[in-house]
Amino acid sequence: MKTFLEGFAVGTLVLILLAFLFLETGRVDIRADVAPSPWTSSFLDIATHASVRRNAPSLQSLSSNDEQVLVAGGKLYLNDCAGCHGEPGKRSQFGATFYPPVPQLAQTPTRYNEAQIVWIAKHGVRRSGMGAEGNSYSDIDYGCLAAFIRQISQLPPHVLAAINPPPPAPVQSASPDQSDVKK
Amino acid sequence: MKNFTAGFVAPFILLPLVVLVYFALGMADTRCDVKPTAWESAVMKPAVRSAVKRKAANLSAPGTATEDSIIAGGKLYVMGCMGCHGEPGKPFAEDHANYPPAPQLPHVGTQYSEPEIYWIIKHGIRMTAMSAYGPFYKEDQLWSLAAFIRRVDTLTPVEIQSIQPQKH
Repeated sequence: MKTFLEGFAVGTLVLILLAFLFLETGRVDIRADVAPSPWTSSFLDIATHASVRRNAPSLQSLSSNDEQVLVAGGKLYLNDCAGCHGEPGKRSQFGATFYPPVPQLAQTPTRYNEAQIVWIAKHGVRRSGMGAEGNSYSDIDYGCLAAFIRQISQLPPHVLAAINPPPPAPVQSASPDQSDVKK
Repeated sequence: MKNFTAGFVAPFILLPLVVLVYFALGMADTRCDVKPTAWESAVMKPAVRSAVKRKAANLSAPGTATEDSIIAGGKLYVMGCMGCHGEPGKPFAEDHANYPPAPQLPHVGTQYSEPEIYWIIKHGIRMTAMSAYGPFYKEDQLWSLAAFIRRVDTLTPVEIQSIQPQKH
């Protein structure tokens, strides 16, 4: 038994050392435009979902069938989120250049409930392109936004009509303006 | 000896399993606005640095950057990078929205060489908010951006003036 424990201790140290060496000698591919193995991707995906489910508080959601709520949320979404997350019926090219790739919410509906969406928007997601919005929205705005995102793939046509055309472009966008780049 | 070998092998199975379970149960915090542990940052930051140095080792800049191309890079910076990485000539404001935070380049500068900066802009950095800009910029634009960012913490007031967008 004693030699087993000795072996265990040595094995643990060697394993940690190997992992450390692998990381610190720059052997990890860090390019955002090259997807890692599907195994890695789904592991990260599972870890993120599990963490959100575990940590997000459960909040009372707004009455999300209220169309005013959806329209208000939709306007916020088109202004602040669509640049990376895509619009209903239109994927974002910019969102695809991140790793992890930005979820195209209109095409792949979210698995989170409204309270979890609010929590993600507020605190962001570490080690991804999702920044923490913090106090930039009121609780009501967060609620509207979450209701809209929850239903983005099945919006009633008149809600879609009400949020289009989108308001003028946001003041400052992180993405390079492609029309300018082409000049 | 047989016991020692069994003991040696056991953690190679057990530790990855423990790590998998830890993450699959959602024990890892996802919030950007909560600081991760010091050891996590201490391991991850040098890992990114050495990966950039290793992968970009064979690249070299097409030539010494001219003042014109540095200014052209500065204009691209103002349009595409400044929103997260900070505006030259303005007071320091840490990025609290993202984790890892976007480095405030005009204040902290960069330790990377021009080819390394070029490589980072082109390919992005996985698991950060730095996306790949290869699809959006031409090669010469990427290089002039890199030349500008290399010098972004030592700009003269005249240079800062000349990268401002033209007022119509």
